[in-house]
Amino acid sequence: MTMQDTATSTWTGKTVPRKEDDRLLKAQGEFGDDTPIAHLGHVVFVRSPYAHARILDIDVSAAESLPGYLGCLLPDEVDVLTDGFMELQPAPADAEVDKCLAAGGKVRFVGEPVVAVAGTSRQAARDVAATVVVDYEPLPHVVDARRAVEPEAPQVHDEIGSNVAWDGVYDWGDIDAALKSADHVIEVDELHFHRFSSTPLECSVVTVSYDAGIDTFNLIGGCAMPQITTLMMAAAMRHPAEKIRIVSKDFGGSFGVKIGMYVPATAVALLSRKLGRPMRWTETRTEHHWMGGHGNERWFHNVKMAVTSEGRVLGLSYDALDDVGAYTRYEPLGAVIWTQVANACYQLQHLKVHYRSIYTNKGPVHPNRGYSRLQHMWLVERMMDIAAHRLGFDPVQFRLQNYVQPEQYPYETVNGCVYDSGNLPLSLEKALDLIEYDDARRLQRESAGTGKRIGIGIGSTLDSGTNNFGQARLINQFLPFSGNTEGGLVRMGVDGSVYTVTGGVAFGQGHETTVAQVVADMLGLTPDEIITHRGSDSALSAQTGFSGSYASQFAVTGIGAILNATRKLVREIQLVAASILGATPEEIVLEGGHALVLGDPERALPFAAVAGIVHFSPADLPAEVADEVGLVGRAVYRAPFEIPDLERKRGNLTLTYASQIHACVLEIDEETGEVKILRYGMVDDCGTPINPMIIQGQVHGATVHGISAALFEHFAYDDDGQLLAANFYDYHAATALDLPSLRYDSVVSPSPFTPIGAKGMGEGGGAPLHAIAAAIQDAVGGDGGVVLESFNPPERILGLLNGGTESTVRVLR
Amino acid sequence: MILPPLRYLRPGSVGDAVHWLTHIDGAIVLAGGQTLVNALKLDLVAPTALVDIHRLDELRSIAVSPDRTLTIGAATTYAALAASTDVRLTAPSVASMAAGLVDRQVRNRGTIGGNVCLNDPTNNFPPLLVALGARFTVLGPEGTRTIDADDFFVGTMTTALGNGELLVSIEIPPLPRGARLVHRHLQVGADSWAMARAVVRIDDDNGVVVASRVVVGAVLGSPQRLRLVERALVGLPTGGDLDGAAAEAFDRESIETVGDVHCSADYRRQMSKVQLRRALRDLAKGTPS
Ligand SMILES: Cc1cc2nc3c(=O)[nH]c(=O)nc-3n(C[C@H](O)[C@H](O)[C@H](O)COP(=O)(O)OP(=O)(O)OC[C@H]3O[C@@H](n4cnc5c(N)ncnc54)[C@H](O)[C@@H]3O)c2cc1C
Repeated sequence: MTMQDTATSTWTGKTVPRKEDDRLLKAQGEFGDDTPIAHLGHVVFVRSPYAHARILDIDVSAAESLPGYLGCLLPDEVDVLTDGFMELQPAPADAEVDKCLAAGGKVRFVGEPVVAVAGTSRQAARDVAATVVVDYEPLPHVVDARRAVEPEAPQVHDEIGSNVAWDGVYDWGDIDAALKSADHVIEVDELHFHRFSSTPLECSVVTVSYDAGIDTFNLIGGCAMPQITTLMMAAAMRHPAEKIRIVSKDFGGSFGVKIGMYVPATAVALLSRKLGRPMRWTETRTEHHWMGGHGNERWFHNVKMAVTSEGRVLGLSYDALDDVGAYTRYEPLGAVIWTQVANACYQLQHLKVHYRSIYTNKGPVHPNRGYSRLQHMWLVERMMDIAAHRLGFDPVQFRLQNYVQPEQYPYETVNGCVYDSGNLPLSLEKALDLIEYDDARRLQRESAGTGKRIGIGIGSTLDSGTNNFGQARLINQFLPFSGNTEGGLVRMGVDGSVYTVTGGVAFGQGHETTVAQVVADMLGLTPDEIITHRGSDSALSAQTGFSGSYASQFAVTGIGAILNATRKLVREIQLVAASILGATPEEIVLEGGHALVLGDPERALPFAAVAGIVHFSPADLPAEVADEVGLVGRAVYRAPFEIPDLERKRGNLTLTYASQIHACVLEIDEETGEVKILRYGMVDDCGTPINPMIIQGQVHGATVHGISAALFEHFAYDDDGQLLAANFYDYHAATALDLPSLRYDSVVSPSPFTPIGAKGMGEGGGAPLHAIAAAIQDAVGGDGGVVLESFNPPERILGLLNGGTESTVRVLR
Repeated sequence: MILPPLRYLRPGSVGDAVHWLTHIDGAIVLAGGQTLVNALKLDLVAPTALVDIHRLDELRSIAVSPDRTLTIGAATTYAALAASTDVRLTAPSVASMAAGLVDRQVRNRGTIGGNVCLNDPTNNFPPLLVALGARFTVLGPEGTRTIDADDFFVGTMTTALGNGELLVSIEIPPLPRGARLVHRHLQVGADSWAMARAVVRIDDDNGVVVASRVVVGAVLGSPQRLRLVERALVGLPTGGDLDGAAAEAFDRESIETVGDVHCSADYRRQMSKVQLRRALRDLAKGTPS
């Protein structure tokens, strides 16, 4: 489908106020905890206070006499009632057993659910939970992935035989030769990307009503990937997928992390069936911090980069230890997802990575905004910067020269991914304009000797969107996944009104608005006239297996499906109108709520009449039209992918590459290490815009999240395996007071591969983490230390000003 | 339940409040609740009854006496302090501290009495009130007594308040002519916890420091007066190298700090010194903060 398929472009590409804001601003949204349900029971989990311990005994007898106690679910019951959740990793780590309550008689991280108790109110359930006595025998634990790979390390999963969940080598080009022959080689012993997450405004809420009469689980709750969730639950509970219905209404953010909700949802479902009542679990913020999903923490070791004397980067190699926490869940997909952006923004020719996913006694990781690509791109961007500083190249020129150039698109990366379009040099130029680069350099010079140092940093990054699920086979050749699809449904009601529902799930991205814009254009209506389904519902036939919102794809897959579905409805309207108006279907155009004959606007049928005839007077229609037309368009969008070459680990793994080039000017206080961001510029290129205002909103959100992660957010654990930031007292998410005013600009490089040239862009590639690290480095200058961490609180920056990390960074040549 | 079963009591007078605090075992004061409610939620405290004083008008007054002594009711909110012309004119540091405290929500509920009775080491007011030489008026079963700031703050999270005692008001004497005070802090982000805090006051008579109060917060046993630094400053010309003298004396002080998720103990200690020196430099420049 191309742009021409939309009859006109009256709405697509325009800033249109968001349809959903009216109800949200009037507090008429319906979030997880809002839905009233009769006879509702409430679930509270009793959780592990230990990082690693054997469960000796569980005593719930004190609960039984408490008012409001309904019942409970114990690990032994779960063992009988369910199989372990599907594991994605191959042997030997596929021996991992993951259940909704601590499996195999032990707990593996602080906050792991051990018992689920139910009460007539949330308060009653809490009181009950407080009386449950679990007797633990603490076991030695491991919280550092570097320790976890040592031979004597405690085993997180005894049945696997090591803490390695996945181990593989990617080797594209010939980095060994490049390192041998290159004019310059830079080596860094260790860099570290820290653990943080998104902090959705709404924590998880899951309500399950088991309908015994039809043996069906009805689940309401924010679910980012409904059919995969269904599959996970169905397989674990040995229950038909079509007897699990998942409904999401308004949904206060996921950012990927809520993909893990099938775990607690299974416990809630089992309790609902066991106790014969609907059950709701409302996650607290602390529970969310413990296991709501952390982003991947990654160690990079033996990093080597080869550079020519003219400043051309040939490639790099490194060993990665990815700390996935206590369970793999969506992992070890992270072990391949990063390869979507193997080249980052650069014309690398050689890349070799030994990647291992490592279990530790910490909260499990989940996909989190920028999932797995962010870590690799931070590493590459950091190395670019270290190389520029160490070899004396200008950081702007050095990047410009190594960027994939505009005329090189579609650009094939070292591993066969195809960067669809972009203009990185122009984006960088605009980003530098936003921060008034020359003036910033002047400020920097003038700051010398004032006790403040000014640094300027660039963050170049990509947001790869629309996965080829065939990449899953690169981590486990037996996984039966490939390609990608999304569904959509558009129908005309009995009065001619138009209703749409997509397989995607919205949690703040404005899907209702963008869907209404493109459908309005195709039907000749206004967005206000399009009724968009709030949230998602697996019973509405709009979904495919991959449906959902993750991996920056809705603008491609969700919109693609809705365009295809609308096209089917348009065809049906044309058939009906043509037969009534005595024209051919091709002569019928849709305008202002009418189907009319092209060039003869007098011959027109209002949509209400089209609907009326189809729904109530089919005898008016020729039989062959009446037999065919139901005024429902249901369609799938299929992303054009092939199965990757498993042998060479090559193939196109994502369809689109939005780019974000950020530039930042910050000031460091020499005595305290405090950072103040003085100017911040963001340039986003996500192809053809559908709604520029929504794009800007997403860019702002991703930027704020990245700034916050770089300076404040850290899921630190202490040596005992206790999470040190288990609530917002200790986990500081940036507020408006912490932020500069953000300056925005855009570049439009339409994707040649997508329905309307748009690209997914919601995740953002974490550019602030790169830009801030680079700016800190720039401020610290040549005599100080090297920024080797993605997280830089004041104390660490002060350490950099005092030098220190020298010996771990070497220029070999 | 989020809260364990407990009684909620709303006294009609300060006398009633003290009566309940004295006679109900395990009863404690609820003021703005900005700390207490969170502590209850996290099971850190287990009172049997909450005596809610925040609506007692007797505890919410702000008054200035003819000698310019400012008397603030214990249940006065930060927002009320920041908005009060009397406070701004007689004790501008109190007004500016209140205005910059955390966020609007906390400022609208949190009280100066709660702030000092809690005496969390990171809290804003204890070091300031020590530097100002405030006096605390307390009503208890035995009647009223007045406690000097130096004696009121006993140690980390502890004060001189005894069983059944209620802080009624805080008296801030006028600064002597020529006295100047500066407070400085380093916190997590723009509005979160303090990593270091310093308040410095010097009383200047004819260009010479005749008295000084130097107080650090965010250390173990906060607020801590640095007596060696104070002594080092006295007698110096106010235009002299106060900063250098203080830095030298600081290193001889025994200051204990702890580390947490935001920074190490060592950094905290180092930053106390930095904040102290900054405060002194501000004083030298004549910029009150
Ligand atoms: C997000 C957040 C951030 C915060 N950050 C800071 C900060 O940076 N700096 C800072 O200083 N504070 C901070 N606070 C704490 C805040 O200032 C509290 O308001 C204050 O510590 C306690 O005051 P309160 O009136 O809320 O007292 P409460 O929470 O009601 O009570 C605190 C304690 O004092 C006792 N108490 C209260 N009043 C009296 C009285 N008159 N007599 C005897 N005992 C009494 C109570 O029994 C209780 O033990 C923060 C709070 C929040 C929620």
